[in-house]
Amino acid sequence: MVTITIQELTKRFSGSVVLSSVDLQIESGELFFLLGPSGCGKTTLLRHIAGFYTPDEGKIWFDDQDVTRLPAHKRGTGMMFQSYALWPHLNVAQNVAFGLEERKRPRKEIEHRVAEALSQVKLDGLGSRKIQQLSGGQQQRVALARALVIRPKCLLLDEPLSNLDAKLRLEMRSEIRSICKQHGLTAIYVTHDRDEALSMADRMAIMEAGKIAQLGPPPEIYRNPASRMVAEFIGETNFIEGRTLRESSREGFHDVETSFGVLRGRTDGTWQPASGQPVVLSIRPESLTFANLTDSPNRFPGHIIDTTYLGATVQYLLQVTGGPLMKVCEINPQEIRPPSEDETRAMAAMNDVVILRK
Amino acid sequence: MSRTLSLLIFVVMTAFFACFFAYPIWAALEAAFRGPDHQFTLQYVAEVFLNQLYREGLWNSFVIAVWTTLGSLVVALPLAVCYVRFAFPGRALLNSLVLMPMILPPFVGAIGIKAMLGQAGAFNALLINLGLMDAAHPTDWLGQQRMLGIIIMEVLHLYPIIYLNTAAALANLDPALEEAAANLGCNAWSRFWRVTLPLIMPGVFAGGTIVFVWSFTEMGVPLLFDYDRVTAVQVFRSINDLSGNPFPYALVAVMLVFSTLFYLGSKLLFGSSNAGGGGRATTGRETVRLPAWLGWICTTLFAGVTFLAVLPHLGVVLLSFAKDWYGTVIPHALTLDHYRDALGHELTLSSIANSLKYSSLAMLLALLLGIGVAYVSVRTRLWGRQILDAMAMLPLAVPGIVMAFGYLAMTREGQPFHWLMLGEDPLLLLVIAYAVRRLPYVVRSAAAGFQQVSPTLEEAAQNLGARPEKALWRVTLPLVAPNLVAGGLLAFSFAMLEVSDSMILAQQAAHFPITKAIYSLVLALGSGPNLASALGVWAMIFLAVTILGAGVILGKKLGALFRG
Repeated sequence: MVTITIQELTKRFSGSVVLSSVDLQIESGELFFLLGPSGCGKTTLLRHIAGFYTPDEGKIWFDDQDVTRLPAHKRGTGMMFQSYALWPHLNVAQNVAFGLEERKRPRKEIEHRVAEALSQVKLDGLGSRKIQQLSGGQQQRVALARALVIRPKCLLLDEPLSNLDAKLRLEMRSEIRSICKQHGLTAIYVTHDRDEALSMADRMAIMEAGKIAQLGPPPEIYRNPASRMVAEFIGETNFIEGRTLRESSREGFHDVETSFGVLRGRTDGTWQPASGQPVVLSIRPESLTFANLTDSPNRFPGHIIDTTYLGATVQYLLQVTGGPLMKVCEINPQEIRPPSEDETRAMAAMNDVVILRK
Repeated sequence: MSRTLSLLIFVVMTAFFACFFAYPIWAALEAAFRGPDHQFTLQYVAEVFLNQLYREGLWNSFVIAVWTTLGSLVVALPLAVCYVRFAFPGRALLNSLVLMPMILPPFVGAIGIKAMLGQAGAFNALLINLGLMDAAHPTDWLGQQRMLGIIIMEVLHLYPIIYLNTAAALANLDPALEEAAANLGCNAWSRFWRVTLPLIMPGVFAGGTIVFVWSFTEMGVPLLFDYDRVTAVQVFRSINDLSGNPFPYALVAVMLVFSTLFYLGSKLLFGSSNAGGGGRATTGRETVRLPAWLGWICTTLFAGVTFLAVLPHLGVVLLSFAKDWYGTVIPHALTLDHYRDALGHELTLSSIANSLKYSSLAMLLALLLGIGVAYVSVRTRLWGRQILDAMAMLPLAVPGIVMAFGYLAMTREGQPFHWLMLGEDPLLLLVIAYAVRRLPYVVRSAAAGFQQVSPTLEEAAQNLGARPEKALWRVTLPLVAPNLVAGGLLAFSFAMLEVSDSMILAQQAAHFPITKAIYSLVLALGSGPNLASALGVWAMIFLAVTILGAGVILGKKLGALFRG
């Protein structure tokens, strides 16, 4: 398995910058996610690694081999395409055998490895089927088998689950992850689905406008978003604008003055706000509670204007008195509060109030 | 639209097809297989195969078709690949120019070829001027190699059909299918053979079949080359003693059977095996920017083919202005006399008027039928709508000469459709024949329009109180109007150019359409060929204007109309 290093990669399409000086290192055996809204450059980056695009500037390395100008068919990556790109003129087994034939493997070995690959994706005995006779989920498995059977240096997945229904998508998530781990594959997975990324990734990069906005393991990105865009993209959140007062008494926490009072929170640890600096606070709905937190000064007085019951959770819309509308999410709710004019109060722990640069 | 109305359209369409498509074919076949005492007989068809002359005609037709198809493939495939894959100077313009031969009547071009390749033609003059040929012994290129001349002419006319089909197939191919092969270690060359070619084969074959059937049954070009040893011309020659002679019918029957077999064969081979390029394209295809010199090679290739294809027609234009063109590369002196004379000639003005009359009526009929068929097949769920749609496309597969003979057979004296002859006036017959032959273009064009206009637009009108028919009239028809206009223009211009029906069905000079007038002018002595050229130039101008109009209205979709 290879380590993939990307150095200052820049790509322009007809004048507009699609990738802007991207630096990235993907470790051997890592399941790495490229996550971002459409048009952020994640697929373009993946296609550079596969060799379908040549960068305008920058380099790509597989271990210590410079592959920047190596044509796609000599890179030895295995790619799963969003549309699966299964050849309709070949049957299932022929599709899977294609890469081995290009590698001039002996016929016996090809037969053996094709059968093995099909069995691995639970398609035993379907080798002679036509592509058109398969369901979407089966086609997806053929595409995976076709990419895996060549024992690729790295596996590239371009939104592989986006054409499947919700239930199948959940199944395939864990299956793809377990196959990658079982083979120790270096895999790069492009998606815009944050749940997919959070649940599967060893590490991920959130991309925005051709740049990497943040890089790290899922919990770190969810807990310590580096910017407003990342905080919003990786999960639901509430933003409150304010201005820092001074460093508070407790180590690492800062007081922020908002329109409805002073809140106390933390940064991601990489920077300290100056006194009087305008900032944005990010507070996730599930970190707000109607229970009483004795050691937190963060109070959100107001009244509930909307209640949505979702079984596992209840979501409230809280109109903070003199402040913004906030989403509050209670997990495993014991009591469902109806909308009312009566004053109530939500609270949040200091650790759950993240201070972002404005 | 109400179900009753749809049903009515369906029934009317089906009846029309039964009367004017199925029945004429049946009538032609009946004449071929029914003996003097109305019993079934294979004697005439057997005669055809036993007769040395007929056998030679069939064989020659077959040879011409094979070489025309191969030649068109050789010309069109590289062009299509270059166009879809590469960026080169003048790409967009050349893509349109390379289609021009499609609209240039090949049998008019044949006049030009004769002027150029004849013994005292431009080509020999050029060779003599260059000192490459003995002026005393010029080669008679067409005398010895008339078949070659026919094949060249037909290749230059028909390659755009394969070009359009192939380019469309290539453009519809999901680029990911090739990328997947590259990803698995397949280089560009082997990618083309293992993935691209098999996947575009249905498109290539669809085009190839049309070209094959077309050249197998082509009558105009061999006729103008004076080449009698092909079936279509043999059929035409025997037309005068038609009443008692079953052999032309037998020949036509044999042609129909062969054409159908070729058509079915290719459908079986490539029809449904792998429907299309496999799913929607997820990545846009990027055209590869070639190094400058390679790009210019592409440009030269396109320009060269276009020039070659247009050359015969340039010859026609020159001929129409030539005072005297004999033994020189270009005419000695130019004159407008032929245009003046052409206007004074008894045949020309009446033939232009006739053609305009026949073609515009045919266009209206084709539009009416085409809209009906397209509407029923796209917008209704009637049982059998696909059959109707398929039926409307069949005229593509049936040679024009077969249809023409069918019409002739079904209007013979004593036949139920004899009244269509209107005495001796072929007006009705020609209008119906033209309309049916060109119906596929109108249907595809209208169907494309209906598919693009969402039915909800019509439903919105109904919701606001418009009756279904009114909603169709006020909402859908205006939206599909561009498609209808384009389809109509195509039907019109092809009707103006039609050869086989015109040659066979119009018997009296007063009723000749342009094509038959050109043919009889070519045969005339003196300045006949010049007059024919002048008339041909008029026809080409008509065509260029209508096709350009259709192209402007339809934009890129024009190509979709020529796909099999």
